[in-house]
Amino acid sequence: MVEKKDITRLLFSISSLADLGQEVTSAKSFNDRMKTALYVVTGMFSVPKAALLVYNSNQQRLELLTHKGFKDTAWTNIHVKAKHIKSFSKNEPYSLSKIKTNSFYNPDTAALEKFHTKTFIPLFAKDEFVGAICLGKRLSRPSYLQSEKNVLKVVANHIAITLHNSSLFRRLTNKVNENKKLYEDMRHIYHDTIQAFAAAIDAKDRYTRNHSYRVAKYAVAIARELGWKEKDIETIDVAGLLHDIGKIIIDSGVINKGTKLSLSEMSEIKRHPQVSYDILSKIRFPWRDLVHFVRHHHERMDGMGYPDALQGEELSDGVKILAIADAFDAMTTDRPYRRKLSLAEALHEVKNCLGTQFDSRISNVFFRVLQKEINGETKKAQILPHFALDKGFDPTVITTLLETITAELSA
Amino acid sequence: MNNFSILSKTINGTVIFMPKGYVNDLGAENLEHACEEFLSKGLKNVVINFSEIQYINSIGASIFTGIVQKIAEHDSMLCFTNMKKVHSDVFEMLGITRHVKVFKEEKDAVNFLNESD
Ligand SMILES: [Fe+2]
Repeated sequence: MVEKKDITRLLFSISSLADLGQEVTSAKSFNDRMKTALYVVTGMFSVPKAALLVYNSNQQRLELLTHKGFKDTAWTNIHVKAKHIKSFSKNEPYSLSKIKTNSFYNPDTAALEKFHTKTFIPLFAKDEFVGAICLGKRLSRPSYLQSEKNVLKVVANHIAITLHNSSLFRRLTNKVNENKKLYEDMRHIYHDTIQAFAAAIDAKDRYTRNHSYRVAKYAVAIARELGWKEKDIETIDVAGLLHDIGKIIIDSGVINKGTKLSLSEMSEIKRHPQVSYDILSKIRFPWRDLVHFVRHHHERMDGMGYPDALQGEELSDGVKILAIADAFDAMTTDRPYRRKLSLAEALHEVKNCLGTQFDSRISNVFFRVLQKEINGETKKAQILPHFALDKGFDPTVITTLLETITAELSA
Repeated sequence: MNNFSILSKTINGTVIFMPKGYVNDLGAENLEHACEEFLSKGLKNVVINFSEIQYINSIGASIFTGIVQKIAEHDSMLCFTNMKKVHSDVFEMLGITRHVKVFKEEKDAVNFLNESD
């Protein structure tokens, strides 16, 4: 069960990661960006004393880049040779006691102790050692939870890449070319973290395990078929992963209730898109339409949806996509009050709701994606895998059904 | 930085800071500097009134972490008042409130500090 403290931690971590993404790519000077990055980390884990070090490979030593909570006069550069670098796990937090057992630790590195280091994170961009983060004692618990270590690793990766792409680092290592590919990797890292958060959201509702994950996949498949740009596809992907984030504050007794909901319980559940919107609009995400998609994922073409009862073309394509992806997954998974529909039953249901709940054009695209997946015309199937193992699943039956529906639609 | 400013007043050797706006970038470090300056004068009690703070992000949390540390090193007393629930939830999770006395209203903190002197 997700506890309130975990939720606070989760939201704080997501928004801190968004802060970090924004800060390291901002127009500020390099030093200010790195200092801000260090502040984000120390704020996330409540560490009053910390330092960010950069690796000078010409001199084979770690130099002080920016710090917080102590005077830099205490600093002496730390020599780190290639053989030591090899022994580090990339972007992995080490406790001081563990780092002391590493052969790189010697009287020279005692600077780490003078700097009150409790946790040492060697920073790597891909395979290249670029620096280190030294974190002092925390104000909360002394050690890090596994989930915190994971977040710490993402943050370290983020900072490592920024450091690697800086001109300072290139000067220290006699490198000229910036590596664009690394920035792309960074987006993946960020995305993986959001996926991890989505798993935490889904955990609240025991009937909808991986719901957010599947909604994201379905929505991406439709958007891709519509020819959306990569950046917009990324937006709908994250929207799928986080659309139900508002559910984390709704009583899980209501969400998991096996019997019919009372009116007040119903309206409690209906609050979640608004709550998702409130939570996400406070976070500085790089995706502009994200909060709009999330807010409206329960709107309907006939205006009977919520929270804003939008109608027809007031629903953007992104909203229409998310609405069908969400409803379709809801139909095809077990719920406390009913068993799941088979793929064929669900497709019938979608067809029956065209124009009222779902947009016909977007639904048609959805059918087309599914048909292409059955035909093996897509690189990687996104929708089909969820059904392929179902008892009685027959691709030819689905193909015939899809043909009938599409013929009816175009008539 | 334009979104952040600090008002301060001193009552019986207790300084009360009322930061205003967004505590979300390095500009908010001024609050830490103001606390330091106050402590360096040998004064002990610091109250931070949160009523005018709109938003605190991780950078802001880091600055408060720094303040908590400075107060501890000077063996002084730090009180937070008028905190919104979102802020106290985050500070509690971060272990910051463990090192601070939290009061509902500013006057409660001032009374407490007067009595304990
Ligand atoms: Fe929903």
